Amino acid sequence: MLGFEDVHIGYTKKILGIQNLQLLKGNCYALIGANGVGKSTLLKTICGQISAIDGKITLNNQRLHTMSTSEKSKAIAFVDTHFRGIDFLSVYEYVALARTPYTNFLGTLHENDHEIIASSIQKLGLWSKRDAVTTELSDGERQLISIARAIAQTPNVLLMDEPTAFLDYGNRLRLIETVQQLAKEQDICIVLSSHDIELCVQSQLELLLIDYTSRMLISTKAGVDISTIIEISFKQS
Amino acid sequence: MHLINRRNFLFLLIALLLVCASVLALFSGQFNLSFDTYWNAAFAYNENVQGEFIAREFRFPRLIAAIISGSALSVSGLLMQTLFRNPLAGPYVLGVNSGASLMVALFTMSGIPFFTQDIGTVSSALIGGLASGLAILFLSSRVKSGVSLLLVGLMIASFCSAIVSVLESLSSETGLKRFTMWTMGSIQHVSIDQIGLFVALIGLGLGLSLLVAKPLNVLLLGENAAFLLGIRVTNIRFIIIGISILLASVVTAYCGPIAFVGLAIPNITRMLFKTQNHHILLIGSALLGATFMVTVDCISLLVEPIAVIPINVFTSFIGAPFVLFIILKRL
Repeated sequence: MLGFEDVHIGYTKKILGIQNLQLLKGNCYALIGANGVGKSTLLKTICGQISAIDGKITLNNQRLHTMSTSEKSKAIAFVDTHFRGIDFLSVYEYVALARTPYTNFLGTLHENDHEIIASSIQKLGLWSKRDAVTTELSDGERQLISIARAIAQTPNVLLMDEPTAFLDYGNRLRLIETVQQLAKEQDICIVLSSHDIELCVQSQLELLLIDYTSRMLISTKAGVDISTIIEISFKQS
Repeated sequence: MHLINRRNFLFLLIALLLVCASVLALFSGQFNLSFDTYWNAAFAYNENVQGEFIAREFRFPRLIAAIISGSALSVSGLLMQTLFRNPLAGPYVLGVNSGASLMVALFTMSGIPFFTQDIGTVSSALIGGLASGLAILFLSSRVKSGVSLLLVGLMIASFCSAIVSVLESLSSETGLKRFTMWTMGSIQHVSIDQIGLFVALIGLGLGLSLLVAKPLNVLLLGENAAFLLGIRVTNIRFIIIGISILLASVVTAYCGPIAFVGLAIPNITRMLFKTQNHHILLIGSALLGATFMVTVDCISLLVEPIAVIPINVFTSFIGAPFVLFIILKRL
C-alpha cells in the first residue's frame, strides 16, 4: 500500500535512505531510531509537507507527489505528539474538523459525516465525553481524541509522531493496543514513531529500525530482541 | 436541532439589545426629536425643517457609523485572533492603525506641501492604513510562520510611531490638537455623503469573512494541521489578512483608531456562545460589536451636556479591565 523505492529523505541534504520497502494495510509499524536521524522528517515526507530528495514513494501504486492536496488529505492522516486542547472547542466539534476534506466550502456536515464522527469517538471509548471542552480532558484522553479525529478522516495511512511521549505507562499500553486494533478493524496502515522500545517489542508491532551507522531504514519482523535493536539503532560508533 | 436553544436565544437577545440601544441613541442628545421627525427625515425629507436636517445629517450617519464600525472591528479582531491563535490579537496587530496614524500625522502636522494637499484625514488614513496593510500582505506570502508576521507588524508599528513622535515634537499647537483629536476616535464626523461608501466597503469585508468560516475553523488546529486537512494555508492566510486589513483600515479612516473593541468583543462572543464554530462567531461578533458601539455612543451622548468625551475613552474604559481579566484568567 505504501511503497518506497530508493528514497532519499531530508530537507536539503540526505539524512535517511530507504532502499525497498512495502508497508501493508492492516499492519501497525513502529518507527525506531535515535534522536535526529530523521523519524519526524520521514513522517513529514509521507504527509507531503516536504518532498523527498530522490526516489519513488507510492500510495496504492500512485506516485505520492502526483496526488493533489485534496487527494492526500483524504488518504493520509497525522497525529501529533501532543494536543494541548483548544478553548471552547468540544470533542465532537474537534473530531468533526476531520471531515474538512469531504465537505463543501461552508463545511456542511451530512448524515454520513455525523455517523463517521460518532463511530470514531465511540471506537476510542470517549462517547461520554463528546460535549466536553478539549482543554478540560486529561493528556491521555486528548491523545485518544486526536486519534479519533485521524480515524474520522477515513484515511488509508495513519501516521503518528511519538504518540506515547506524554502519556503514563497505563495509557501508553492502552494506546498501543487501541492502535493495533484500529489497524485491523479499519484495514489501514499505521506508522508510529516511538522511543518506547520495550513496549513496541512486547506488543509485537512490526519494527522499522533506522540504522545509526548507515542511516538506512531496515524493516524487521516482530520478535527481534531489544539488545539487537539497541545495537542497530543506538550504538553511536 | 431545537429552535429555541441557547444559541438562538443569545442571537435574539443581542439583536433586541441592538434595537433598544439604537432607539435610545436616536432619542438622546441635545435636541429632542420625535418619531415623526425621523420618519420624515427618512422618507419625506425636507431640509428646511431643522429637526429633520439634524436627523438626516447627524443622527442617522452617527448611528450607522457606530453599528458598522463596531461590527467591522470585531470581525477583523476575530480573524486575527484565530489566524494567530492568540486571544490577545486584534484588528491592529498588523500595524494598520500605525500606517494610518503616520499618514494623518503627516497630513495634519508635517507642513510638507505634498502631504498637506487637501485630501482630508479620511483619505490620508485610508492611504496610510492600506499601504501598511499591503506591505504586510506582501510579506505574509514570504514569511513562513505567523509569529514572524506578528513581529513584522510590530516593527512597522513602532517605526511609524517613532516618526509620528518626531512630527508631534515639531508640530504647531493647532496641528497637534487636530492629530490628537483624531487618535481619540470619533463616530460623529462621518457625513451622510460618506456613509454609502463606508457601508459598501464594510459590507464587502463582512460578506467575504463569512466565506472563510470553514478554513477559520480548521486553522484553530494550527497551520500544519490545516495544511494536512487540505487547506491551502498560504492562500487562505493571504485572504484572511486582506479582509481584516480592509475592515480595520476603512473604519480607522472614517472614525480614527478605535481601541479595544476588536480585541474584547470576539473574546466575549466566544465566552457567551461557548463555541469555536466561526459561522456563529462571525455573526455573533458582528452583532455584539455593533451593540457595544451603539451603547458606548449612547453613554457618550448622555454625558455630552457635561463634557464631550471621545469614544476611545469609553471603549478603553470597558476594554482595558477586560484584557486584564483575560490575562489573569489564563495564568
